[in-house]
Amino acid sequence: MHRRRLAPSGYLGCVLLACLCVSACFAPWLTPYDPRAQDLAAGLHAPAWAHPCGQDKLGRDLCARLFYGARISLLVGVMSVAVTLTLGVAIGALAGYQSGILDEFLMRLTDMFLAFPGILLALALMAILGPSLTNVVIALCIVGWVGYARLTRGLVLVAREMEYVTAARATGATAPYILIRHILPNIAGPLVVQATFSLAGMIVAEAGLSFLGLGVQPPTPSWGSMLNEGRLFLLLAPHLAMIPGVAIMLAVLGCNLLGDGLRDWLDPRGEIVA
Amino acid sequence: MRDAVCNSRCKFNDHVFRLGLLGGLILVSLLVLTACPSSTPTESRQIMRIALETAPQRLDPRYAVDVASQRVIQLVYNGLVRLDAQAQIVPDVAQSWEMPDPTTYVFHLRQDVTWHNGERLTAADVHYTFTSLLDERTESPKRASFDKIQSIEVIDEHTIRFVLSEPFAPFLTNMTQGLIPQPRAGEAARDLDAHPMGTGPFKFDRIEPDVAVHLLAYDAYFEGRAILDGVVLRILPDAMVRLFELQKGNIDLIQNALPPDLLTQLRSDKQFAVIQAPGTNFTYLGINCQDEILKHVEVRQALAHAIDRQAVIRHVLSGLGTLADGILPAGHWAYEANVPHYAYDPERAAQLLDQAGFPDPDGDGPQPRFQLTYKTSENEEGRRIAEVLQEQLRQVSIVVTIRSFEWGTFFGDIRAGNFQLYALTWVGVTEPDIFHYVLHSQSVPPAGANRGHYFNAQLDALLDAGRRSTSPETRRASYSQAQVLIATELPYVPLWHRTNVAVLRSTFRGYELTPSGDFRVIRTVRPYTSAKAS
Amino acid sequence: MQTVVLRRLVFILPVVWGVSTFVFLIIHLIPGDPIDLMLGETAAQVDRQTLRRQLGLDQPLWRQYATFLQRLVHGDLGQSLHSDRPVHTLIAERLPATATLALAALCVSVGLAIPLGVLAALRPRSWLDTGSMIVALLGVSMPNFWLGPLLILVFSLQFGWLPVAGRGDGSLPYLILPAVTLGTGMMAVLTRMTRATMMETLREDYIRTAVAKGLTMWVVVVKHALRNALIPLVTLIGLQVGALLAGAVITETIFAWPGLGELTVRAIQQRDYPVVQGCVLVIALTYVIMNMMTDLLYAVVDPRIRFEA
Repeated sequence: MHRRRLAPSGYLGCVLLACLCVSACFAPWLTPYDPRAQDLAAGLHAPAWAHPCGQDKLGRDLCARLFYGARISLLVGVMSVAVTLTLGVAIGALAGYQSGILDEFLMRLTDMFLAFPGILLALALMAILGPSLTNVVIALCIVGWVGYARLTRGLVLVAREMEYVTAARATGATAPYILIRHILPNIAGPLVVQATFSLAGMIVAEAGLSFLGLGVQPPTPSWGSMLNEGRLFLLLAPHLAMIPGVAIMLAVLGCNLLGDGLRDWLDPRGEIVA
Repeated sequence: MRDAVCNSRCKFNDHVFRLGLLGGLILVSLLVLTACPSSTPTESRQIMRIALETAPQRLDPRYAVDVASQRVIQLVYNGLVRLDAQAQIVPDVAQSWEMPDPTTYVFHLRQDVTWHNGERLTAADVHYTFTSLLDERTESPKRASFDKIQSIEVIDEHTIRFVLSEPFAPFLTNMTQGLIPQPRAGEAARDLDAHPMGTGPFKFDRIEPDVAVHLLAYDAYFEGRAILDGVVLRILPDAMVRLFELQKGNIDLIQNALPPDLLTQLRSDKQFAVIQAPGTNFTYLGINCQDEILKHVEVRQALAHAIDRQAVIRHVLSGLGTLADGILPAGHWAYEANVPHYAYDPERAAQLLDQAGFPDPDGDGPQPRFQLTYKTSENEEGRRIAEVLQEQLRQVSIVVTIRSFEWGTFFGDIRAGNFQLYALTWVGVTEPDIFHYVLHSQSVPPAGANRGHYFNAQLDALLDAGRRSTSPETRRASYSQAQVLIATELPYVPLWHRTNVAVLRSTFRGYELTPSGDFRVIRTVRPYTSAKAS
Repeated sequence: MQTVVLRRLVFILPVVWGVSTFVFLIIHLIPGDPIDLMLGETAAQVDRQTLRRQLGLDQPLWRQYATFLQRLVHGDLGQSLHSDRPVHTLIAERLPATATLALAALCVSVGLAIPLGVLAALRPRSWLDTGSMIVALLGVSMPNFWLGPLLILVFSLQFGWLPVAGRGDGSLPYLILPAVTLGTGMMAVLTRMTRATMMETLREDYIRTAVAKGLTMWVVVVKHALRNALIPLVTLIGLQVGALLAGAVITETIFAWPGLGELTVRAIQQRDYPVVQGCVLVIALTYVIMNMMTDLLYAVVDPRIRFEA
């Protein structure tokens, strides 16, 4: 394959994502404050030297909560993407390779999941499972695996007809072997691209769940719950909502730019429809 | 020229494109047509627009239990009696009453009360209201409040007698129940949810489901026609939207439905008047009295000493609350001031915990005495209060884990007794019989609200006495002792009484904020234009 | 071709049944008693039992399911537990609002996506490309519940041009902010697709011929390239309907827009089973039908798929 350079937007995406990772990993070193330390008398103070991002309603340092919140966003995002990827690819590959009844059945199953409005499903699941970080990931996974299933199925359908697969079959290789050893590496590209896009989606979805009050438990900071808190004080202390909002925006922008860049790099002609 | 360069596929796409364009144009024009503004009639009437947090569920007073419904009921219906600003019982439709014996009440009705269709209210209507309430087939959730009624007798057109099965002091308070008209001969029973009809200062005009309820002033209201021409109750579930609509000029009154911090800004705005008054709402820390750790009285008392309620009121509630000693607010006729108080005293809390057998394993180190789970709903303010209390309890080495649930799940857990700590608010405390509802041994859910499963025979006896006697003095004595007992035992930790706050546009005057936030006062609200207005 | 259509139609039924069963199970699994939430604590045990019986909630779960299916087959969606009104009435009241919002959001989305995608495709990998894509991505990067209040703050309070919330009298100004909030979320995907297909089309021989023959770029782009880009765009829109309806839920809550999404969320919170079941069914049905139409369009357009066994 002709090696192309990653577009400048792709590099920008990389930089933004790197910032996210650094904030998440090195949070304790980036800020002297404990994100849970309250100072009731200093509620809603605007950004100042001592507190560059300002303080929230309970006087907690916003920068500290931002950095520790990055952990949650990243953790939820990465874990959700990992699980949905595995699940979706497995189901999609099965459907795409086997065809026939199994394919039809799995596709109707994905149709069913897609037809169910995602946010309502997440709402219901969170209400059933109860509040916790793990359950947020579970809820997002149950809602999100479908995209990968469809994508993988489409890719496998095309790859199945390729010469290297017929050759492998001729040498007597079994279906799972062909799938894992031959097909998957070749379709990895679009899957990775989709993964970056869905990372962005997961970050926003977690924020959405926190907006509905169903995300992580207080006092753990998460960008979504910070956004939700800040919403009420939009007129009094706009920094409360602006700062996590901008953080989410930059993280999502970074994921999308990286995804776009990767896609252009891997598949400049747009032949593989994702 | 184009045909020369187009292949057949291009031609096909061409057709689809044209079709698509046509379709798109049709859709857009449909959109614009449906979005055509309807003609707005010139409003020369004085209408006040009020924001509600939730939609009223039922407009029939026999079924209305949620706050929004009750607000509408207060405007459209009357009861035999009503509560004044001091929570005393005063005449409403009944102009006087007497008690020939402890189980009999005779009410004398006013002669000038009319329904919104012009017909007079008679004792037959009152009879119908309560018999239908007590009828099992009506399936009214309020039935249990009236089950002490043994018989209802119409003596004449304006006199009615109730006989109870036993003396029951809260009976009169329950007589604030909205009255409904008896179906006339040959008519079917009215669907009061769809077409409410009462005797109140405002009559039902129309409803846009989940959007707004429109009421118009009733000219023949017996206390005098309202000064306003009508009221629109708009349903705006989002707090920010309520604020925005207020600032934009589309809402005139918001009662108790704005975050406290926003009020500072509104106070300095000349367009609005911010009215405050002590409230009867009681916020408390609910405790599971059967829990291994929390069953010890010293632990509960330690909790009370460990939390700094004043700090929460000042910083989280922006000062809009007063410290509470118990369910009844100071100023209530049955309030007892001489009860044990629990000031913020972490050292005392630590002492009590040591006494109870829960010492701090490592002094000031990170190891806690014990761990507690605090359940809360997804409500923003509730969560914030939880976080502050969590931090305060951490100072006495109690680690609190907050679990915030969606409201339905949370409420289910509380009713099932599946909790250690939680915080909720009792709204509209007026009748001391609420103690029975909350703390009597027989009041465990679903029969009552003794969610903490607190059992105390001495308290039971006092509360039973309180509801049986009908003389205010004996009642007061029983409830005094009860309050002392409760404050010593602390089956729940009293937190605060929220201050009622109403934000009213300055183009209106005369709104008296009552402790229960009763909307009846809207009758006397009048439009006001300053002398400088053009 | 016929077999494809027929097969798709046949499979609508199991999907609808699957969704109905799924939502029935899920909603009944959520802890919390609808009677409790309806009555608060003002009713004694006796009253609750009567109410439970009246609403059919005292039946074992399998029998409630059977009743539900039976009613469904006859087109009866039941009554709301809270307001006692027929579910289909509630849905009929709210569906137009959601439909209008969705349509308007689509207009906003497509109206912004096409110019941005075209711009990006004209100079691939340039700063124009990156700039257009970033603008398109801004929409999806800002969650609805943040963008909404922000727009209200700026356009409704600061400038006073637009109303704050609600549907008002149904006129256009009330529609603008919610539509923009909802529509910008879809913008990124549509822009990407426009960009990709435009790039592909612009590379085609007949375009180069047209340019060589002296047609201006503008004419070339609009009259030729754009047409070919529209088909995939339309099919993509069909697939995005699900996302649109999901996003509408939050937007409707923020703007007090009396639509289906807001009704469903509230019904879930109140455990109003029939309403939730009815709404989800309608939403799912809409999605399935749109999906099928999209698939059909795809099949009609792409000869490869048409002859697929």
